Amino acid sequence: MNVLLSLKVLLKDLRLGPRSPIFLWAIVFPVVGTLLVQLVFGSLFAPKPRLGIVDQGDSAITAGMRDLEGIQLTLVASPGELTELVRDHNLDAGLILPAGFDEQVRSGAQPVLEFYVSGESLASDRLILAVTTLDLVRAVEGSPAPVQVDVVAMGAPLLPMAARLTPMLVLFALLIAGVFVPAFSLVQEREAGTLTAMLVTPVRATDVLAAKAVLGFALALLMALVTLWLNDALGNEPAALLLAVGVGAIMLAEIGLVYGSASPDAKTLFTLMKSLNIILFAPVIFYIFPDWPQWIAQIFPTYWVINPIFEVAIRDASLGDVAGQLTIALILSALLIPVIVVLSRRMQARLAAA
Amino acid sequence: MNAAVNDPVAPSTGAEPASGAVPAVSVEDLAYRYGDVEAVRGITFEILPGEVFGFLGPNGAGKTTTIRMLTGQLKPYAGTARILGRVVGRDDPETQAHIGVCFEEKNLYDSMSAEENLRFFASLFGIRDLDAGELLRRVGLGDRGKDRVSTYSKGMRQRLMVARALVNRPMVLFLDEPTDGLDPVSSKAIRAIIRDEADRGAAVLLTTHDMWEADELSDRVAFINDGRIYATDTPENLKLRYGKRSVKVRLRDGGAIREETVPLDDPAAGERLRSAVQAEGLMTIHTEESTLENIFVEMTGRALEA
Repeated sequence: MNVLLSLKVLLKDLRLGPRSPIFLWAIVFPVVGTLLVQLVFGSLFAPKPRLGIVDQGDSAITAGMRDLEGIQLTLVASPGELTELVRDHNLDAGLILPAGFDEQVRSGAQPVLEFYVSGESLASDRLILAVTTLDLVRAVEGSPAPVQVDVVAMGAPLLPMAARLTPMLVLFALLIAGVFVPAFSLVQEREAGTLTAMLVTPVRATDVLAAKAVLGFALALLMALVTLWLNDALGNEPAALLLAVGVGAIMLAEIGLVYGSASPDAKTLFTLMKSLNIILFAPVIFYIFPDWPQWIAQIFPTYWVINPIFEVAIRDASLGDVAGQLTIALILSALLIPVIVVLSRRMQARLAAA
Repeated sequence: MNAAVNDPVAPSTGAEPASGAVPAVSVEDLAYRYGDVEAVRGITFEILPGEVFGFLGPNGAGKTTTIRMLTGQLKPYAGTARILGRVVGRDDPETQAHIGVCFEEKNLYDSMSAEENLRFFASLFGIRDLDAGELLRRVGLGDRGKDRVSTYSKGMRQRLMVARALVNRPMVLFLDEPTDGLDPVSSKAIRAIIRDEADRGAAVLLTTHDMWEADELSDRVAFINDGRIYATDTPENLKLRYGKRSVKVRLRDGGAIREETVPLDDPAAGERLRSAVQAEGLMTIHTEESTLENIFVEMTGRALEA
């Protein structure tokens, strides 16, 4: 293989990329997919309740509010500014904590607490903010709660649906960028005859395949990471995540070459994709339906690339936790190499005989 | 040396490449089969540097298969082919660095401009300083170099195909029907380029079923049909050897017009012509020469456009 020639073919593919609908779709899909999932299952249009506080005495209530992830807190300088923000619905509610408020509460006095709500705010947001404020006031007072609330979880502990859909989005990103882009690029070159034109120059078929594989790998790696970032699922170990996504991108780029070299034309490629993509895509369905027997997912080869990504990105697993799965993925990727070699030879023979 | 004839039916002793010169292309008993179908059956020929070799035959005769073997796309079933003294194998970058191929199929990058196409293919030969503008001017596309190929007409694409085959100043040029479907002006321009390339020293293998073009351009031609070469020689020698030389005389005979064909090979031709010229009713005398097409049809029993 000639690395320099592969690079030249790759640069040509990158120049042609923005003119290809598949290439553009590979870039646009993660954004569109994430927006759709967040719209339906996530918090895209369900923002946190927004509370503004004018704290004139360094109250523990402010500190307590700051620690709560479910509330978006804004510290405001003056009561006038606060009421203006609430009136204009830039805040859902506003609270003025006068100097010495905490001491008055602890002494048993019942100071007046001014709590403003925006007329346009959701009732649910008002309720959340009011109840939270009362809880914090009680905590400052130091008195026990009048009742003990026993929280009973119903059903198995589950990740939110948006998190369970993240593997699907990531695998889609890997599939479009890693499989579709190199496969279509190769088939287009075959159909247009430009592959034949290249193969009578010093370029070898292996140089062309390597260029397509690198294109698929790089694009798949980039778009999978972008998808994870858009879904706020980057985990705690960037190196482990990069490795897991990289191994996934390698396997899917290889599958792209298998598809591309096995398909003499776009029609055959579509047929191949329609028949085989369910096998590639099946593992992510098991994240959506956790009641299904999860071991079945392991039958499918892409499980061994998507699960390490899921574990590292969503469940904060370490590299050691997923090393075994990544090794299996690398072995599967290595097994694909002879398949690609055989198919590419057959492709060349077919090209010449066409 | 060059076996001028591969067909037992029509042996030829026609002109061979100048003795002593090293052939740029040397083919010996080359054969290829697609499954059970023998596409090329043991053909032999040579092409010298600076020579235009016309490879003439109808569709399906084996021309393109031969080019595919010579350009390293197909591995010969039997026989050997040498390009610039090197045995051609499948995937041979050393040989392919010195060849230029103009395919019959218009296989260009449509979404790239003409200049981008030429620069990309030049880069595959390691050429960085290609004067794409000059090359495009040669083929009459100087003012369209920056336009996408998708906006080109069929003739413009064909001219760009020829330009692409020249990006590496090849020592051996394979041109598969380079003027097919072109208008007369474009065809003339392409023929001039082919001649220039041969004058530069390139060996040119030109496949065509346009016998007039082959006659005009080729230093030697080979007739190929059904995978066999039937004859190899200069067009002139083929016409002399196989053409029917005759004179057609038209005479007014009473109220009717009579035509008489006098074969020049006929021992009585002189006497017959003399009497025809002296006849009172003589109207016209025409010499009749065979064309390459006539000879091809006579030798192979098959029309070129088939």
